[in-house]
Amino acid sequence: MTSRGASGIAAVGWLVAFLLGLPVVALVARALLGGSLGVALASPAVVEALMLSLATTAVSLVVTAGVGLPLAILLARRAPGRASTMLETLVDLPIVLPPSVAGLALLLVLGRAGLLGPALQAFGLEIPFTTAAVVVAQVFVSAPLFIRSARLGIAGVGRDLEDAARVDGAGEGDLLRAITLPIAAPALAAGLVMSWARALGEFGATIMFAGNIEGRTQTLPLVVYGDFQAGDLDGSVAAAAILVLAALAVLVAVRSFHWQRALDLRAIG
Amino acid sequence: MNARAFAVRAAVAAVVVATAVACQPRFGATLAEPSAGTLTIYAAASLKAPLDAVASAYRRSFPDVRFTVSTDSSAALAAKIHEGAPADVFLSADTESPAKLAATGLVDAPVVFAGNAPAIVVPAADPAAIATPADLARPGLKIVAAADGVPITAYARELVAALASEPGYPADFEARYEANVVSREDNVGATLAKVALGEADAAIVYVTDARATANVRTITLPDDVSVRATYAGAVVLSSPNRGPAAHFLGWLAGPDGQAILGPLGFLPPP
Repeated sequence: MTSRGASGIAAVGWLVAFLLGLPVVALVARALLGGSLGVALASPAVVEALMLSLATTAVSLVVTAGVGLPLAILLARRAPGRASTMLETLVDLPIVLPPSVAGLALLLVLGRAGLLGPALQAFGLEIPFTTAAVVVAQVFVSAPLFIRSARLGIAGVGRDLEDAARVDGAGEGDLLRAITLPIAAPALAAGLVMSWARALGEFGATIMFAGNIEGRTQTLPLVVYGDFQAGDLDGSVAAAAILVLAALAVLVAVRSFHWQRALDLRAIG
Repeated sequence: MNARAFAVRAAVAAVVVATAVACQPRFGATLAEPSAGTLTIYAAASLKAPLDAVASAYRRSFPDVRFTVSTDSSAALAAKIHEGAPADVFLSADTESPAKLAATGLVDAPVVFAGNAPAIVVPAADPAAIATPADLARPGLKIVAAADGVPITAYARELVAALASEPGYPADFEARYEANVVSREDNVGATLAKVALGEADAAIVYVTDARATANVRTITLPDDVSVRATYAGAVVLSSPNRGPAAHFLGWLAGPDGQAILGPLGFLPPP
Protein backbone atom coordinates (compact mmCIF):
# COMPACT_ATOMS: atom_id res chain seq x y z
CA MET A 1 0.00 0.00 0.00
CA THR A 2 1.23 3.49 -0.77
CA SER A 3 1.89 5.77 2.17
CA ARG A 4 -0.79 8.05 0.77
CA GLY A 5 -3.32 5.19 0.97
CA ALA A 6 -2.22 4.43 4.51
CA SER A 7 -2.58 8.00 5.65
CA GLY A 8 -5.99 8.13 3.94
CA ILE A 9 -7.13 5.13 5.96
CA ALA A 10 -5.74 6.66 9.13
CA ALA A 11 -7.63 9.89 8.43
CA VAL A 12 -10.90 8.02 7.95
CA GLY A 13 -10.18 6.02 11.10
CA TRP A 14 -9.63 9.16 13.16
CA LEU A 15 -12.79 10.70 11.72
CA VAL A 16 -14.85 7.63 12.66
CA ALA A 17 -13.32 7.58 16.15
CA PHE A 18 -14.23 11.25 16.50
CA LEU A 19 -17.80 10.65 15.33
CA LEU A 20 -18.20 7.70 17.70
CA GLY A 21 -16.80 9.58 20.65
CA LEU A 22 -18.44 12.96 20.11
CA PRO A 23 -22.03 12.16 21.20
CA VAL A 24 -20.88 10.60 24.46
CA VAL A 25 -18.37 13.36 25.23
CA ALA A 26 -20.98 16.00 24.40
CA LEU A 27 -23.48 14.31 26.71
CA VAL A 28 -21.10 14.09 29.66
CA ALA A 29 -19.83 17.62 29.03
CA ARG A 30 -23.35 18.98 28.98
CA ALA A 31 -24.17 17.12 32.20
CA LEU A 32 -21.06 18.40 33.96
CA LEU A 33 -20.75 21.93 32.56
CA GLY A 34 -24.47 22.65 32.28
CA GLY A 35 -24.85 21.81 35.94
CA SER A 36 -27.62 19.29 35.28
CA LEU A 37 -25.64 16.52 37.00
CA GLY A 38 -25.57 18.52 40.21
CA VAL A 39 -29.25 19.42 39.94
CA ALA A 40 -30.23 15.83 39.21
CA LEU A 41 -28.15 14.39 42.03
CA ALA A 42 -30.08 16.70 44.34
CA SER A 43 -33.38 15.41 42.95
CA PRO A 44 -34.90 12.61 45.02
CA ALA A 45 -36.29 10.89 41.90
CA VAL A 46 -32.86 10.51 40.27
CA VAL A 47 -31.19 9.43 43.51
CA GLU A 48 -33.98 6.93 44.12
CA ALA A 49 -33.58 5.57 40.58
CA LEU A 50 -29.80 5.35 41.06
CA MET A 51 -30.24 3.43 44.32
CA LEU A 52 -32.82 1.14 42.72
CA SER A 53 -30.50 0.52 39.77
CA LEU A 54 -27.59 -0.34 42.08
CA ALA A 55 -29.72 -2.61 44.27
CA THR A 56 -31.45 -4.49 41.45
CA THR A 57 -28.26 -4.96 39.45
CA ALA A 58 -26.49 -6.26 42.58
CA VAL A 59 -29.21 -8.88 43.10
CA SER A 60 -29.22 -9.67 39.37
CA LEU A 61 -25.46 -10.19 39.51
CA VAL A 62 -25.74 -12.71 42.35
CA VAL A 63 -28.58 -14.56 40.60
CA THR A 64 -26.67 -14.53 37.31
CA ALA A 65 -23.58 -16.02 38.94
CA GLY A 66 -25.64 -18.58 40.84
CA VAL A 67 -27.71 -19.88 37.95
CA GLY A 68 -25.19 -19.10 35.22
CA LEU A 69 -22.20 -20.98 36.54
CA PRO A 70 -23.74 -24.49 36.57
CA LEU A 71 -25.06 -23.92 33.05
CA ALA A 72 -21.68 -22.62 31.86
CA ILE A 73 -19.95 -25.69 33.34
CA LEU A 74 -22.52 -27.98 31.69
CA LEU A 75 -22.05 -26.30 28.32
CA ALA A 76 -18.25 -26.25 28.60
CA ARG A 77 -18.01 -29.95 29.47
CA ARG A 78 -20.49 -31.26 26.91
CA ALA A 79 -19.07 -33.04 23.89
CA PRO A 80 -19.52 -30.95 20.75
CA GLY A 81 -22.56 -32.00 18.74
CA ARG A 82 -25.82 -30.80 17.32
CA ALA A 83 -27.61 -30.80 20.68
CA SER A 84 -24.81 -28.79 22.31
CA THR A 85 -24.85 -26.27 19.50
CA MET A 86 -28.61 -25.85 19.78
CA LEU A 87 -28.38 -25.42 23.54
CA GLU A 88 -25.63 -22.81 23.21
CA THR A 89 -27.64 -20.94 20.58
CA LEU A 90 -30.71 -20.94 22.80
CA VAL A 91 -28.72 -19.59 25.75
CA ASP A 92 -27.09 -16.91 23.57
CA LEU A 93 -30.39 -15.81 22.05
CA PRO A 94 -31.28 -13.10 24.60
CA ILE A 95 -27.97 -11.37 23.80
CA VAL A 96 -29.16 -10.57 20.28
CA LEU A 97 -32.88 -10.31 21.02
CA PRO A 98 -34.33 -6.78 21.01
CA PRO A 99 -35.07 -5.97 24.69
CA SER A 100 -38.69 -5.07 23.93
CA VAL A 101 -39.12 -8.58 22.55
CA ALA A 102 -37.61 -9.97 25.75
CA GLY A 103 -40.07 -7.90 27.80
CA LEU A 104 -43.05 -9.07 25.81
CA ALA A 105 -41.88 -12.69 26.02
CA LEU A 106 -41.47 -12.39 29.79
CA LEU A 107 -44.99 -10.97 30.10
CA LEU A 108 -46.39 -13.83 28.05
CA VAL A 109 -44.67 -16.38 30.29
CA LEU A 110 -44.44 -14.82 33.76
CA GLY A 111 -47.29 -12.30 33.52
CA ARG A 112 -50.31 -13.24 35.54
CA ALA A 113 -52.22 -13.91 32.34
CA GLY A 114 -49.12 -15.66 30.97
CA LEU A 115 -48.16 -19.30 30.61
CA LEU A 116 -46.89 -19.74 34.18
CA GLY A 117 -49.04 -16.95 35.64
CA PRO A 118 -51.73 -19.18 37.20
CA ALA A 119 -49.10 -21.51 38.69
CA LEU A 120 -47.25 -18.55 40.24
CA GLN A 121 -50.50 -17.11 41.54
CA ALA A 122 -51.19 -20.41 43.29
CA PHE A 123 -48.12 -19.54 45.39
CA GLY A 124 -49.35 -15.98 45.81
CA LEU A 125 -46.75 -14.63 43.39
CA GLU A 126 -47.48 -11.85 40.92
CA ILE A 127 -44.29 -10.70 39.24
CA PRO A 128 -45.15 -7.87 36.80
CA PHE A 129 -44.96 -4.30 38.16
CA THR A 130 -42.71 -5.36 41.07
CA THR A 131 -39.02 -4.84 41.81
CA ALA A 132 -38.66 -8.60 41.34
CA ALA A 133 -39.79 -8.11 37.74
CA VAL A 134 -36.93 -5.63 37.24
CA VAL A 135 -34.47 -8.28 38.44
CA VAL A 136 -36.05 -10.97 36.25
CA ALA A 137 -35.79 -8.72 33.19
CA GLN A 138 -32.17 -7.87 34.00
CA VAL A 139 -31.16 -11.49 34.56
CA PHE A 140 -32.93 -12.64 31.40
CA VAL A 141 -31.07 -10.22 29.14
CA SER A 142 -27.72 -10.13 30.96
CA ALA A 143 -27.03 -13.67 32.24
CA PRO A 144 -26.26 -14.99 28.73
CA LEU A 145 -23.25 -12.64 28.57
CA PHE A 146 -21.83 -14.17 31.74
CA ILE A 147 -22.68 -17.72 30.69
CA ARG A 148 -20.98 -17.24 27.34
CA SER A 149 -17.82 -15.78 28.83
CA ALA A 150 -17.71 -18.39 31.62
CA ARG A 151 -18.28 -21.26 29.17
CA LEU A 152 -15.39 -20.13 26.96
CA GLY A 153 -13.18 -19.58 30.00
CA ILE A 154 -13.90 -23.00 31.50
CA ALA A 155 -13.56 -24.76 28.15
CA GLY A 156 -10.18 -23.04 27.79
CA VAL A 157 -8.81 -24.73 30.89
CA GLY A 158 -6.53 -27.53 29.66
CA ARG A 159 -8.14 -30.97 29.75
CA ASP A 160 -4.75 -32.52 30.54
CA LEU A 161 -4.45 -30.27 33.58
CA GLU A 162 -7.85 -31.42 34.84
CA ASP A 163 -7.10 -35.06 34.01
CA ALA A 164 -3.81 -34.86 35.86
CA ALA A 165 -5.63 -33.61 38.94
CA ARG A 166 -8.15 -36.47 38.59
CA VAL A 167 -5.30 -38.98 38.40
CA ASP A 168 -3.99 -37.50 41.62
CA GLY A 169 -7.34 -38.34 43.19
CA ALA A 170 -9.09 -34.95 43.08
CA GLY A 171 -12.90 -35.17 43.21
CA GLU A 172 -14.97 -33.12 40.74
CA GLY A 173 -15.75 -30.58 43.43
CA ASP A 174 -12.10 -30.17 44.41
CA LEU A 175 -11.17 -29.97 40.75
CA LEU A 176 -13.59 -27.09 40.13
CA ARG A 177 -12.60 -25.28 43.29
CA ALA A 178 -8.83 -25.71 43.04
CA ILE A 179 -8.10 -25.86 39.32
CA THR A 180 -10.85 -25.02 36.85
CA LEU A 181 -12.51 -21.97 38.41
CA PRO A 182 -9.28 -20.25 39.53
CA ILE A 183 -7.80 -20.60 36.05
CA ALA A 184 -11.04 -19.45 34.43
CA ALA A 185 -11.40 -16.62 36.97
CA PRO A 186 -10.52 -13.74 34.60
CA ALA A 187 -13.14 -14.96 32.11
CA LEU A 188 -15.72 -15.33 34.90
CA ALA A 189 -14.94 -11.86 36.21
CA ALA A 190 -15.07 -10.28 32.75
CA GLY A 191 -18.38 -12.05 32.13
CA LEU A 192 -19.81 -10.79 35.40
CA VAL A 193 -18.75 -7.21 34.68
CA MET A 194 -20.21 -7.28 31.16
CA SER A 195 -23.45 -8.77 32.41
CA TRP A 196 -23.67 -6.21 35.21
CA ALA A 197 -23.26 -3.43 32.66
CA ARG A 198 -25.97 -4.91 30.47
CA ALA A 199 -28.28 -5.19 33.48
CA LEU A 200 -27.58 -1.58 34.47
CA GLY A 201 -28.53 -0.39 30.99
CA GLU A 202 -31.63 -2.60 30.74
CA PHE A 203 -34.56 -0.56 29.47
CA GLY A 204 -36.95 -2.23 27.02
CA ALA A 205 -37.65 -5.43 28.90
CA THR A 206 -37.96 -3.51 32.16
CA ILE A 207 -40.49 -0.96 30.93
CA MET A 208 -42.61 -3.66 29.29
CA PHE A 209 -42.44 -6.30 32.01
CA ALA A 210 -41.90 -4.32 35.21
CA GLY A 211 -43.59 -1.07 34.26
CA ASN A 212 -42.43 2.32 35.42
CA ILE A 213 -43.01 3.62 38.93
CA GLU A 214 -40.69 5.67 41.11
CA GLY A 215 -38.88 3.79 43.83
CA ARG A 216 -40.15 0.37 42.77
CA THR A 217 -39.39 -0.22 39.09
CA GLN A 218 -38.06 3.08 37.73
CA THR A 219 -34.36 2.44 37.12
CA LEU A 220 -31.93 5.02 35.70
CA PRO A 221 -32.47 4.17 32.02
CA LEU A 222 -36.22 4.66 32.54
CA VAL A 223 -35.49 8.10 34.01
CA VAL A 224 -33.44 8.98 30.91
CA TYR A 225 -36.43 8.14 28.72
CA GLY A 226 -39.22 9.34 31.01
CA ASP A 227 -37.67 12.72 31.75
CA PHE A 228 -37.00 13.29 28.07
CA GLN A 229 -40.61 12.36 27.18
CA ALA A 230 -41.85 14.80 29.79
CA GLY A 231 -39.62 17.54 28.38
CA ASP A 232 -37.18 17.57 31.33
CA LEU A 233 -33.94 17.50 29.38
CA ASP A 234 -31.75 18.25 32.43
CA GLY A 235 -32.90 15.21 34.38
CA SER A 236 -32.57 13.05 31.30
CA VAL A 237 -29.02 14.23 30.53
CA ALA A 238 -27.88 13.82 34.12
CA ALA A 239 -29.22 10.28 34.44
CA ALA A 240 -27.64 9.45 31.08
CA ALA A 241 -24.28 10.85 32.19
CA ILE A 242 -24.28 8.62 35.27
CA LEU A 243 -24.87 5.61 33.00
CA VAL A 244 -22.09 6.69 30.62
CA LEU A 245 -19.60 6.95 33.48
CA ALA A 246 -20.67 3.53 34.77
CA ALA A 247 -20.24 2.01 31.30
CA LEU A 248 -16.80 3.59 31.00
CA ALA A 249 -15.78 2.12 34.36
CA VAL A 250 -16.96 -1.29 33.18
CA LEU A 251 -14.89 -1.23 30.01
CA VAL A 252 -11.80 -0.19 31.95
CA ALA A 253 -12.44 -3.04 34.40
CA VAL A 254 -12.86 -5.62 31.62
CA ARG A 255 -9.62 -4.47 29.98
CA SER A 256 -7.75 -4.93 33.22
CA PHE A 257 -9.14 -8.48 33.52
CA HIS A 258 -7.93 -9.29 30.03
CA TRP A 259 -4.44 -7.98 30.81
CA GLN A 260 -4.52 -9.99 33.99
CA ARG A 261 -5.39 -13.09 31.99
CA ALA A 262 -2.62 -12.44 29.48
CA LEU A 263 -0.12 -12.15 32.33
CA ASP A 264 -1.45 -15.33 33.96
CA LEU A 265 -1.19 -17.30 30.74
CA ARG A 266 2.40 -16.12 30.26
CA ALA A 267 3.22 -17.23 33.78
CA ILE A 268 1.71 -20.70 33.19
CA GLY A 269 3.07 -21.04 29.68
CA MET B 1 -35.79 13.52 -0.27
CA ASN B 2 -33.80 16.55 0.80
CA ALA B 3 -35.45 19.73 1.96
CA ARG B 4 -34.73 21.67 -1.19
CA ALA B 5 -36.07 18.99 -3.54
CA PHE B 6 -39.11 18.75 -1.31
CA ALA B 7 -39.65 22.50 -1.41
CA VAL B 8 -39.36 22.50 -5.20
CA ARG B 9 -41.82 19.64 -5.51
CA ALA B 10 -44.18 21.27 -3.06
CA ALA B 11 -44.00 24.53 -5.01
CA VAL B 12 -44.67 22.75 -8.30
CA ALA B 13 -47.53 20.85 -6.69
CA ALA B 14 -48.93 24.07 -5.28
CA VAL B 15 -48.95 25.65 -8.75
CA VAL B 16 -50.61 22.56 -10.21
CA VAL B 17 -53.23 22.56 -7.48
CA ALA B 18 -53.78 26.29 -7.77
CA THR B 19 -54.40 25.84 -11.49
CA ALA B 20 -56.73 22.95 -10.85
CA VAL B 21 -58.59 24.99 -8.25
CA ALA B 22 -58.97 27.86 -10.63
CA CYS B 23 -60.68 25.48 -13.05
CA GLN B 24 -62.89 23.91 -10.39
CA PRO B 25 -65.46 26.24 -8.89
CA ARG B 26 -66.35 23.47 -6.38
CA PHE B 27 -63.44 24.57 -4.17
CA GLY B 28 -64.81 28.08 -4.05
CA ALA B 29 -62.91 30.54 -1.95
CA THR B 30 -60.96 28.05 0.16
CA LEU B 31 -57.41 29.34 0.24
CA ALA B 32 -55.37 26.37 1.36
CA GLU B 33 -55.70 23.28 -0.75
CA PRO B 34 -54.04 19.90 -0.45
CA SER B 35 -51.21 19.26 -2.84
CA ALA B 36 -49.63 16.07 -3.97
CA GLY B 37 -47.26 15.21 -1.16
CA THR B 38 -46.86 13.67 2.25
CA LEU B 39 -48.31 15.15 5.41
CA THR B 40 -46.48 14.19 8.58
CA ILE B 41 -48.96 14.02 11.43
CA TYR B 42 -47.83 13.89 15.06
CA ALA B 43 -50.87 12.55 16.86
CA ALA B 44 -51.92 11.68 20.39
CA ALA B 45 -51.76 7.93 21.09
CA SER B 46 -55.55 7.75 21.37
CA LEU B 47 -55.78 8.85 17.72
CA LYS B 48 -53.64 6.00 16.37
CA ALA B 49 -56.45 3.75 15.09
CA PRO B 50 -58.94 6.58 14.37
CA LEU B 51 -56.36 8.25 12.11
CA ASP B 52 -56.38 5.20 9.82
CA ALA B 53 -60.07 5.86 9.16
CA VAL B 54 -59.50 9.61 8.95
CA ALA B 55 -56.62 9.24 6.49
CA SER B 56 -58.47 6.89 4.17
CA ALA B 57 -61.56 9.14 4.15
CA TYR B 58 -59.41 12.18 3.40
CA ARG B 59 -57.60 10.34 0.64
CA ARG B 60 -60.91 9.40 -0.96
CA SER B 61 -61.43 13.13 -1.57
CA PHE B 62 -57.77 14.05 -2.06
CA PRO B 63 -56.01 10.94 -3.37
CA ASP B 64 -52.68 12.67 -3.98
CA VAL B 65 -52.04 13.29 -0.31
CA ARG B 66 -50.15 10.69 1.66
CA PHE B 67 -49.87 10.48 5.43
CA THR B 68 -47.01 9.62 7.72
CA VAL B 69 -48.35 9.26 11.24
CA SER B 70 -46.29 9.24 14.42
CA THR B 71 -48.15 8.61 17.67
CA ASP B 72 -47.11 9.01 21.30
CA SER B 73 -48.30 10.97 24.30
CA SER B 74 -49.14 14.55 23.34
CA ALA B 75 -46.55 15.74 25.87
CA ALA B 76 -43.81 13.65 24.25
CA LEU B 77 -44.81 14.83 20.76
CA ALA B 78 -44.80 18.45 21.92
CA ALA B 79 -41.29 17.90 23.35
CA LYS B 80 -40.17 16.49 19.99
CA ILE B 81 -41.68 19.38 18.01
CA HIS B 82 -39.95 21.70 20.46
CA GLU B 83 -36.66 19.97 19.55
CA GLY B 84 -37.36 20.57 15.85
CA ALA B 85 -39.02 17.33 14.75
CA PRO B 86 -40.25 17.58 11.13
CA ALA B 87 -44.01 17.47 11.75
CA ASP B 88 -46.59 19.25 9.60
CA VAL B 89 -49.60 18.89 11.90
CA PHE B 90 -49.75 18.27 15.65
CA LEU B 91 -52.95 16.61 16.90
CA SER B 92 -53.05 16.73 20.68
CA ALA B 93 -55.38 15.10 23.20
CA ASP B 94 -55.47 18.35 25.14
CA THR B 95 -55.45 22.07 24.44
CA GLU B 96 -52.49 22.89 26.71
CA SER B 97 -49.75 21.16 24.68
CA PRO B 98 -50.45 22.97 21.37
CA ALA B 99 -51.16 26.23 23.26
CA LYS B 100 -47.69 26.07 24.85
CA LEU B 101 -46.08 25.50 21.45
CA ALA B 102 -48.15 28.33 19.97
CA ALA B 103 -46.99 30.65 22.73
CA THR B 104 -43.38 30.05 21.72
CA GLY B 105 -44.18 30.59 18.04
CA LEU B 106 -43.64 26.97 16.98
CA VAL B 107 -47.20 26.24 15.83
CA ASP B 108 -50.10 28.22 14.44
CA ALA B 109 -53.23 29.01 16.51
CA PRO B 110 -54.67 25.68 17.77
CA VAL B 111 -57.98 24.42 16.35
CA VAL B 112 -60.25 22.29 18.53
CA PHE B 113 -61.30 19.30 16.44
CA ALA B 114 -62.79 16.70 18.81
CA GLY B 115 -63.94 15.88 22.29
CA ASN B 116 -63.54 12.69 24.26
CA ALA B 117 -64.07 11.45 27.79
CA PRO B 118 -62.13 9.32 30.25
CA ALA B 119 -63.43 5.82 30.95
CA ILE B 120 -62.53 3.15 33.48
CA VAL B 121 -61.66 -0.15 31.83
CA VAL B 122 -60.96 -3.59 33.27
CA PRO B 123 -59.82 -6.79 31.52
CA ALA B 124 -62.75 -8.74 30.04
CA ALA B 125 -62.00 -11.52 32.52
CA ASP B 126 -62.10 -8.90 35.31
CA PRO B 127 -59.70 -10.68 37.69
CA ALA B 128 -60.26 -8.16 40.49
CA ALA B 129 -64.08 -8.29 40.24
CA ILE B 130 -64.57 -4.56 39.83
CA ALA B 131 -68.24 -3.64 39.81
CA THR B 132 -68.26 0.10 40.38
CA PRO B 133 -65.68 2.93 40.21
CA ALA B 134 -65.58 2.85 44.02
CA ASP B 135 -63.72 -0.48 43.78
CA LEU B 136 -60.67 1.38 42.43
CA ALA B 137 -59.92 2.34 46.05
CA ARG B 138 -59.70 -1.28 47.20
CA PRO B 139 -56.21 -1.91 48.63
CA GLY B 140 -53.98 -4.22 46.60
CA LEU B 141 -55.60 -3.45 43.28
CA LYS B 142 -53.20 -3.05 40.34
CA ILE B 143 -54.02 0.12 38.47
CA VAL B 144 -51.88 1.19 35.52
CA ALA B 145 -51.79 4.90 34.79
CA ALA B 146 -49.92 7.20 32.43
CA ALA B 147 -47.01 9.46 33.31
CA ASP B 148 -47.37 13.04 34.51
CA GLY B 149 -47.80 15.47 31.62
CA VAL B 150 -49.65 12.91 29.50
CA PRO B 151 -53.14 14.36 28.85
CA ILE B 152 -55.03 11.26 30.05
CA THR B 153 -53.34 11.67 33.44
CA ALA B 154 -54.93 15.09 33.91
CA TYR B 155 -58.35 13.84 32.79
CA ALA B 156 -58.01 10.77 35.02
CA ARG B 157 -57.19 12.94 38.04
CA GLU B 158 -60.23 15.08 37.23
CA LEU B 159 -62.40 11.96 37.01
CA VAL B 160 -61.06 10.53 40.27
CA ALA B 161 -61.60 13.88 42.00
CA ALA B 162 -65.19 14.00 40.69
CA LEU B 163 -65.78 10.44 41.92
CA ALA B 164 -64.32 11.31 45.34
CA SER B 165 -67.07 13.85 45.91
CA GLU B 166 -69.81 11.35 45.07
CA PRO B 167 -71.97 10.12 47.95
CA GLY B 168 -70.74 6.85 49.43
CA TYR B 169 -67.13 7.31 48.27
CA PRO B 170 -64.42 7.37 50.96
CA ALA B 171 -62.93 10.76 51.80
CA ASP B 172 -59.46 9.52 50.85
CA PHE B 173 -60.60 8.01 47.53
CA GLU B 174 -58.02 9.96 45.52
CA ALA B 175 -55.13 8.94 47.78
CA ARG B 176 -56.25 5.32 47.70
CA TYR B 177 -56.49 5.38 43.91
CA GLU B 178 -52.95 6.81 43.66
CA ALA B 179 -51.65 4.19 46.11
CA ASN B 180 -52.92 1.45 43.79
CA VAL B 181 -51.04 2.76 40.74
CA VAL B 182 -48.35 0.17 39.97
CA SER B 183 -46.96 1.73 36.81
CA ARG B 184 -46.90 5.02 34.93
CA GLU B 185 -46.74 4.24 31.23
CA ASP B 186 -45.51 6.49 28.42
CA ASN B 187 -48.90 7.04 26.88
CA VAL B 188 -52.51 5.91 27.00
CA GLY B 189 -51.86 3.20 24.40
CA ALA B 190 -49.35 1.41 26.63
CA THR B 191 -51.75 1.78 29.57
CA LEU B 192 -54.58 0.21 27.60
CA ALA B 193 -52.34 -2.64 26.42
CA LYS B 194 -51.53 -3.67 30.01
CA VAL B 195 -55.26 -3.97 30.76
CA ALA B 196 -56.11 -5.75 27.50
CA LEU B 197 -53.31 -8.22 28.27
CA GLY B 198 -54.86 -8.88 31.68
CA GLU B 199 -51.75 -7.75 33.59
CA ALA B 200 -53.42 -4.74 35.21
CA ASP B 201 -56.73 -4.81 37.10
CA ALA B 202 -57.93 -1.45 35.82
CA ALA B 203 -56.91 1.74 34.04
CA ILE B 204 -58.43 5.03 33.02
CA VAL B 205 -58.28 5.48 29.26
CA TYR B 206 -60.52 7.25 26.74
CA VAL B 207 -64.06 6.18 25.88
CA THR B 208 -62.91 5.79 22.27
CA ASP B 209 -60.06 3.44 23.33
CA ALA B 210 -62.47 1.36 25.38
CA ARG B 211 -64.87 1.06 22.46
CA ALA B 212 -62.19 0.06 19.98
CA THR B 213 -60.45 -2.55 22.12
CA ALA B 214 -61.44 -6.18 22.45
CA ASN B 215 -60.70 -7.84 25.81
CA VAL B 216 -61.65 -4.85 27.93
CA ARG B 217 -64.89 -3.91 29.66
CA THR B 218 -65.99 -0.39 30.64
CA ILE B 219 -67.17 0.31 34.18
CA THR B 220 -70.25 2.52 34.22
CA LEU B 221 -69.76 5.95 35.82
CA PRO B 222 -72.32 7.68 38.03
CA ASP B 223 -74.72 9.79 35.92
CA ASP B 224 -73.65 13.11 37.35
CA VAL B 225 -69.94 12.50 36.81
CA SER B 226 -68.90 13.98 33.52
CA VAL B 227 -65.33 14.81 32.57
CA ARG B 228 -64.62 16.02 29.06
CA ALA B 229 -61.40 15.85 27.10
CA THR B 230 -60.76 18.46 24.42
CA TYR B 231 -58.52 17.67 21.44
CA ALA B 232 -56.81 20.53 19.65
CA GLY B 233 -54.57 20.47 16.59
CA ALA B 234 -52.17 22.97 15.13
CA VAL B 235 -50.10 23.48 12.01
CA VAL B 236 -46.36 23.48 12.64
CA LEU B 237 -45.01 26.83 11.48
CA SER B 238 -41.66 25.50 10.26
CA SER B 239 -43.45 23.00 8.02
CA PRO B 240 -42.94 23.37 4.26
CA ASN B 241 -46.54 22.08 3.84
CA ARG B 242 -48.43 24.66 5.85
CA GLY B 243 -51.16 25.11 3.25
CA PRO B 244 -52.02 21.43 2.88
CA ALA B 245 -51.59 20.95 6.65
CA ALA B 246 -54.10 23.72 7.38
CA HIS B 247 -56.49 22.25 4.83
CA PHE B 248 -56.35 18.85 6.51
CA LEU B 249 -56.85 20.32 9.97
CA GLY B 250 -59.83 22.38 8.76
CA TRP B 251 -61.30 19.31 7.10
CA LEU B 252 -60.84 17.27 10.29
CA ALA B 253 -62.56 19.89 12.46
CA GLY B 254 -65.31 20.37 9.86
CA PRO B 255 -68.32 18.20 9.01
CA ASP B 256 -66.30 15.69 6.91
CA GLY B 257 -63.88 14.93 9.72
CA GLN B 258 -66.66 14.80 12.31
CA ALA B 259 -68.53 12.28 10.15
CA ILE B 260 -65.55 9.94 10.62
CA LEU B 261 -64.75 10.70 14.27
CA GLY B 262 -68.35 10.69 15.55
CA PRO B 263 -69.08 7.01 14.87
CA LEU B 264 -65.76 6.11 16.59
CA GLY B 265 -67.09 7.62 19.81
CA PHE B 266 -65.50 11.06 19.69
CA LEU B 267 -67.63 13.96 20.83
CA PRO B 268 -68.13 17.02 18.63
CA PRO B 269 -65.72 19.87 19.40
CA PRO B 270 -67.15 21.66 22.42
